[in-house]
Amino acid sequence: MTHNPSQDEYRRCIRCGLCLAVCPLYRLSLNETDSPRARVALLRAVREGLVEQPTASTAARFFGCMLCGSCAFACPSGVTVDRILELTRGEMAGQGLMPQALGALGERIAGTHNISGEPNESRLMWAANLPAPPTGVGKKQAEVVYFVGCVSALFPRSYPVAQSFVQVLERAGVDYGLLGGEEWCCGYPLAINGELERARETMRHNVEAVRALGARTLVTTCPSCFHFWKHTYPVALGGYSPPLPGEGPGERSSPPLPGEGPGERFPPPLPGEGPGERLSFAVQHTTEFIADLLEAGRLPLREDLPEQVVTYHDPCDLGRKGGVFDAPRRILARIPGIQLVEMPENREGSYCCGGGGNLESFDPELSKAVAARRVRQAAETGAGVILSACQQCERTLASAARAGRVRVRVKDIVEIVLEAVVV
Amino acid sequence: MFDPALVEQLRDAIGSHKVLTSLEDRIAYSYDGTFAQNLPDVALLPESTAEVAAVVRIAAGGRVPVVPRGMASGLAAASIPFGGGIALSLTRMNRILELDEENCTVRVEAGIVTADLQAEVEKRGLFYPPDPSSNRHSTIGGNIACNAGGPRCLKYGVTGDYVLGLTVVLPDGQVLQTGGKAIKNVVGYDLNRLFVGSEGTLGVITEALLKLVARPQSVRTARAEFPSLDDASRTVNAVLSAGIVPATLELMDETAIACIEEAMHLGLPLDVEAMLIVEADGSDEEAVVREIEAVARICRENGARQVSVARDEAERNALWRARRSVSPSLARKAPNKLGEDITVPRSAIPEAIRRIKAISARYGLPIVVFGHAGDGNLHPNILFDKQDPEQWAKVEPMVEEIFGVALALGGTLSGEHGVGTLKQPYMERALGPLSLEIQWRIKRALDPLNIMNPGKVLPDE
Repeated sequence: MTHNPSQDEYRRCIRCGLCLAVCPLYRLSLNETDSPRARVALLRAVREGLVEQPTASTAARFFGCMLCGSCAFACPSGVTVDRILELTRGEMAGQGLMPQALGALGERIAGTHNISGEPNESRLMWAANLPAPPTGVGKKQAEVVYFVGCVSALFPRSYPVAQSFVQVLERAGVDYGLLGGEEWCCGYPLAINGELERARETMRHNVEAVRALGARTLVTTCPSCFHFWKHTYPVALGGYSPPLPGEGPGERSSPPLPGEGPGERFPPPLPGEGPGERLSFAVQHTTEFIADLLEAGRLPLREDLPEQVVTYHDPCDLGRKGGVFDAPRRILARIPGIQLVEMPENREGSYCCGGGGNLESFDPELSKAVAARRVRQAAETGAGVILSACQQCERTLASAARAGRVRVRVKDIVEIVLEAVVV
Repeated sequence: MFDPALVEQLRDAIGSHKVLTSLEDRIAYSYDGTFAQNLPDVALLPESTAEVAAVVRIAAGGRVPVVPRGMASGLAAASIPFGGGIALSLTRMNRILELDEENCTVRVEAGIVTADLQAEVEKRGLFYPPDPSSNRHSTIGGNIACNAGGPRCLKYGVTGDYVLGLTVVLPDGQVLQTGGKAIKNVVGYDLNRLFVGSEGTLGVITEALLKLVARPQSVRTARAEFPSLDDASRTVNAVLSAGIVPATLELMDETAIACIEEAMHLGLPLDVEAMLIVEADGSDEEAVVREIEAVARICRENGARQVSVARDEAERNALWRARRSVSPSLARKAPNKLGEDITVPRSAIPEAIRRIKAISARYGLPIVVFGHAGDGNLHPNILFDKQDPEQWAKVEPMVEEIFGVALALGGTLSGEHGVGTLKQPYMERALGPLSLEIQWRIKRALDPLNIMNPGKVLPDE
């Protein structure tokens, strides 16, 4: 089995154990097997022959992680464990060792172009109940494409994210378009499952669909779509070319500079691929897009807003991996009446919501336990609202709050922006 | 080979879900913070002293090794199950059992993470001073078993100085209580001290009663840059001889500085040979400020190019985060490192550093020097590539010479990491045959079957 050279980063692990202190899964189970250090040791054991033939039990160790990236951020030797695991998952998939639940997910995406398995034409169902039909539907040309993402488009629980954002776009008078049935899954769930060919097919389709509208900016509400579009699309679509000086794995192995997200420095190219063509449009997350609108005075805010204490949960793919920490806080600083109290584990040190890395499909109980701990952390701040900027975080955190009977509401930052905008 | 019947007994005793036998699990329990590795036959996650006792009784019955461990961040291979057997993880025993504010004591289970304990007692205005760099990824049980130190030990003393009492599962499964809340206690031999630093060879520490002190109200941290390493090491003694006992007095050489800077981008100077990090603390802010100013003056008088005091908590935290990252960040310079932790009388620090750098020059392999210079505890780290036979062949003779330097200057092999297996070959030279013979007698008296972490600390007779 061939493998990507950057998987050999495992050699740099000196087993110091610093990652145990920040790993959400280890901190819950207190079992070394669930630690980043153990997953790296297991890869080493596979490479060096201590594990002669990986089994389903071996593969489970590579799939049973949220890929939240906390360990990579803490690692003083620069081992990017999450990336190594993504690549190793692919290798395991190639040996027929993908866990069943995840295999079904891949089939579904390949068949219907979305993660839910609904017909892809139903991607605009969320738009049906809006006060006015979104102007972005059916456009032939648009300045901005709003890439809704599977969850907000197809899971009614998350419709409010998409509904709120298009209303914000309308009020700011943005010329935007929606792809509807031409939007396919971004490919991230496929890539972290190791299904790289399928990921590439969906990526090619999406780029063509966005280009067809002549868009200059692509905006996503989903941090995983954002991270994947921003950091993997440009790399994965160009075919292989050697890394440019200053962009190779050597650079990637050092933690980010202050103010620089690890996402920028840890682009996750697919195996065998280097930086490729440039996208012909910019990629932004909604928080960045809205912060810019607010600061440009394009979104007048009401003055009569209630006082409320909120805390903000940094999604892993937006923050640690995407490098976007300030934009959501810039937004909150501008909304009258909002008092932001931070959880101790915030920004780069944010504790995962439990929804990352397909863990929910693989081990739902563990995923729930992680979410419950994060909700407790939020409740301890005294905030009445947990804001995030990710429909996945919101779903896992809201379920955990309900299950644990914690009196705290969970919302997307886009929803709170819409409430604040002058009608 | 491990008797499958024993695994069944263990499952019956503590529950199947706490008994891990898959190859993947055993790999996870095969290493520590060194490059050594060996698979246990089984890894266990007990949740109470009674469960630990049950496990040890089964192990004694089957004559299988029991290797206790916390978070396995040790640097002497003390928790590696070289003889197979049971890897006994105490990490799930992590509760605070009693925080007695009136007597300033806390009773904890052995698996609590040291930093978690510290954060909890600090909320009540109390303070647990010992601060190994690994305090976020090591446990109290491991700290006690290795008598861990840390920067603050210069002023406050080491882990063992805070142990008032212990609960220990003996190698035959009996549960021993030592010590108590009384500060003064001279009834009988000091069994607390016997288990402190015993590295799991005499029993399993499952609970500890620890002494706390009042949390210092005021802290100031200074960083002094020295163009000359020799000047920096002389300054350590100049500060201490002036009657000042700072909370910490840490030294790092230019390679250590470069490694941290590469990893953390703190704007540290890359054109000096050494840096001192000095922290003063206490209850009286003015006194603390006076002390740090006096330290700064002495640094300047002894050749410091620049001395800067951290302006706020964030700057101070960044400095300490940097200091704690030195050891792991050395991995950036070379594929392998071997970190020692010799101690010398502090008057001998400049000479020790000179001799260590000479060893490095003679063998042509880098030795990074940093550590708790104030108490004479240095961390010379040899950087090398184990894949390169020529380099690998030099490592052991270099280690031997470093230990030779420590012993020749009146010091010893380890200040805080412990012996494990890595320092065993040098034990007799450090202690002499009579001391070793007495230690073996103690070991045999407590563990006649030699099942408790066998093969560690004491070299074969």
